[in-house]
Amino acid sequence: MHTPQNLKMALLVISFLTGLSLLYKAIPVSKNLDDFYAEEMYLVTYRYYFKNNDGNTTIKTYLPKNNSRQRISAEETGIKKGIQFERLAKDGNLMGVWTANKPNVFQNVDYQFMYEGKATQFHIPQNFKSTLEVAHPYLNETEHIQAFHPKISQKARELVLGSRSDLESIQRLFNFVHAIPSAPIISFTDALTTLEQNRASCNGKSRLLVALARNLGYPSRIKGGILLEHVRKRTSHAWVEILVNDQWVPFDALNGHFAYLPSNFLELYAGDEFLLVHTAGVQLDYTYEIKELDKIPFLSMNSEQFSNISPFSLWGLVEQKVLPKKGLNLLLLLPIGGLLVAFLRNVVGLKTFGVFLPVLIAMALMETGFAQGILLFLGLIMFVGLVAHPFNRMGLLQTPKMVISLTLMVLVMAVGSYLGVKTGIAWLTSLTIFPTIILTISAERFTTLIQEDGFQKASSTLLQTLMAVSVCYYVIANEWLPTVLILFPEILIWVIMLSIVLGKYIGLRWTEVLRFNPLLTPKSV
Amino acid sequence: MLGRFFKIGPNSEVVGLNDRNLNLIYPNNPRKHYALADDKVKSKEILHKNHIACAETYAVINRVSEIKRTWNSCKQYDALAIKPANGCGGNGIKILRKGLHGTWVSGNKMIRDQQVAQHIMSIISGVYSMGSTDSCLIEECIVPHPFFGEIYGTGVPDFRIITLKHKPVLAMLRMPTSKSDGKANLHQKGVGIGIDINQGTLTQVFDGKRYLDHHPDNPQTITGKIIPYWNELIEISKATAKAFPLDYLGIDLVIDETKGPQVMEVNVRPGLGIQLVNKIGLRKAIALVEEQQSKYVPIRKLSRYKESPILRPAANN
Repeated sequence: MHTPQNLKMALLVISFLTGLSLLYKAIPVSKNLDDFYAEEMYLVTYRYYFKNNDGNTTIKTYLPKNNSRQRISAEETGIKKGIQFERLAKDGNLMGVWTANKPNVFQNVDYQFMYEGKATQFHIPQNFKSTLEVAHPYLNETEHIQAFHPKISQKARELVLGSRSDLESIQRLFNFVHAIPSAPIISFTDALTTLEQNRASCNGKSRLLVALARNLGYPSRIKGGILLEHVRKRTSHAWVEILVNDQWVPFDALNGHFAYLPSNFLELYAGDEFLLVHTAGVQLDYTYEIKELDKIPFLSMNSEQFSNISPFSLWGLVEQKVLPKKGLNLLLLLPIGGLLVAFLRNVVGLKTFGVFLPVLIAMALMETGFAQGILLFLGLIMFVGLVAHPFNRMGLLQTPKMVISLTLMVLVMAVGSYLGVKTGIAWLTSLTIFPTIILTISAERFTTLIQEDGFQKASSTLLQTLMAVSVCYYVIANEWLPTVLILFPEILIWVIMLSIVLGKYIGLRWTEVLRFNPLLTPKSV
Repeated sequence: MLGRFFKIGPNSEVVGLNDRNLNLIYPNNPRKHYALADDKVKSKEILHKNHIACAETYAVINRVSEIKRTWNSCKQYDALAIKPANGCGGNGIKILRKGLHGTWVSGNKMIRDQQVAQHIMSIISGVYSMGSTDSCLIEECIVPHPFFGEIYGTGVPDFRIITLKHKPVLAMLRMPTSKSDGKANLHQKGVGIGIDINQGTLTQVFDGKRYLDHHPDNPQTITGKIIPYWNELIEISKATAKAFPLDYLGIDLVIDETKGPQVMEVNVRPGLGIQLVNKIGLRKAIALVEEQQSKYVPIRKLSRYKESPILRPAANN
């Protein structure tokens, strides 16, 4: 069949124009590529309002520094007439000091910076250097961290009794402190008080964890900062760092982060300090104003800067909250996944359950995690297939049978979620409505296929579907892919073009090359 | 070998699924007419109307209320087959024979009237047709010609003839084996036997992996064995192809002991395994058929196969 010439021309022109538009945007973008790969971006403002009757006011606070997981830029110190600002390095931390000396007036200071951060998971070896013998500054007892109080010593010994490695010991200390019920910050809680009253905020828990660790010879310290979220807040946050083979590894016993720091943890200082210190007798109010910005992960620019290059992108949809970012991501990934499946079916020759089902399963795996998801998927399909078997033999109609499968799936998932909560296995609880429906449809296809083609062929199709799912997952789980699609929606036009090419493909499928091999091998006449 | 995986154009001889769909099925078989082949009741109507030999239809049941009366009227026959009109893979088909004292036997078991009625009911309610309601076909039971028994005695064998624009291009004989549970399907461990269309003889047996010169359950060689009624089988398949508004068909036929060649059913998406059975690609087979009809095409000029006029769809299809 011949595509009408003018339609062909039109398609070529459209491809060319979208290509131009892509290029026009890609050139400035390529100059701004960034290898920091921050996951989140915030604009943080410390706001201070103060008045001092006798005129001499000093405000001291910790300023952020760059490190491997956070990047600070666009700093504005808030200097203005009558207010001096000075940076001060102290114990490895950086302090900002503002001094004002006008008496009896309300004044304000706004200190502002841009934060970009990424989550970091630290690896801890089973055993690491112990520094029990050496006098180490991070093994000392302090006023609020009573590391060698008999009660702390007893608890520490009790906790690590029978532990076979340093990692296990740290894990036990952490679990113990994590399990202490959390309480709002009302009064100052030191390590001992936290242990005795079995209730504490982040500060008390951190002090207790440090005390226990130091008691056992693990150098450790308090770490202070702010948990960034899109709000105004006044609370800072404290967590713990333990020295593991010359590396400080973070532990947040309040939020349960073990050797892990999420991307929104702004690190400010190390040590058992207060974030804000000011001269006595000053009337002072403060707030941390935090604004979340849309971060383009691989670019050193934010969405606003990108919009200046070219207004033609889908950021508008995200910014004006037309669509939630996650929903938009999934929507944009669908055509890409579809094209992949089309390729796998028509060129490679895989047999899959339906066309879009592998893409949808891959998307469901993004919520559950790949390995667990695949196991869960197989387990549930087998289970539901097995349980539904007696119903199939009753000779029921298709639709009511499907309702039975769906109900079974929901019941299994409810039980799974319950067990997940009880045992603390997170992925068991990750089954929401979207994966449930997809799993049910897959299970149904599988059981139908068993009836039509027998178990062996159905399993083979299931296996091929899983192969397609893995390929799809490998591609669409890339974090940068949805962002690229948001920035360059022209790519979707190219998906259409590629589909046209694929739709005209009449070569043998790869599986057919194998199947028809006897006919393809030239005969030796 | 590796080069074959990345070859983009059509293979010059062998037809793959992409090629079949784009160049054989889509241009030749309009989708609106699929039902004429897929629905056995509809295809039999067309066959009867065109006086093409096929199993006599005893009754068609569409409603539950008709079951009892229709079944009673069918009791006059000695043997019959009950089929779902839209079944697939042979599911739901029951062959019944009269036993002693007016009882009915299915397989080796006695079957009561109530069980027959129940089976018909489940056919009508769509158990074998994936959800939609269906009709139940009750027809004459075909007794296979002794020719089949000489190769392998049990199960239901059939011929498959592929026609393109009313011309038979490839044919094979499908036979059950001791491992295939009475079914002749290649996927279900049946065997395919290649046929020389011009001579009407059997060529070789293909069991899915190897080529043999005999049926796996019978040591007697079949190569060169003459098929009875071959000319009639070809004529019937041509007539069937003309009777349907579908230009690319897989026609299944069988030879009845007394009534001779009969059409069993018609397929709009015939499988491609027939190429392996006959050791020849479909494009090549099509070109060979053309060669016989037109003296102007030089023999075995493979490069011409792509431009084959028979492959080009008619101007106003």
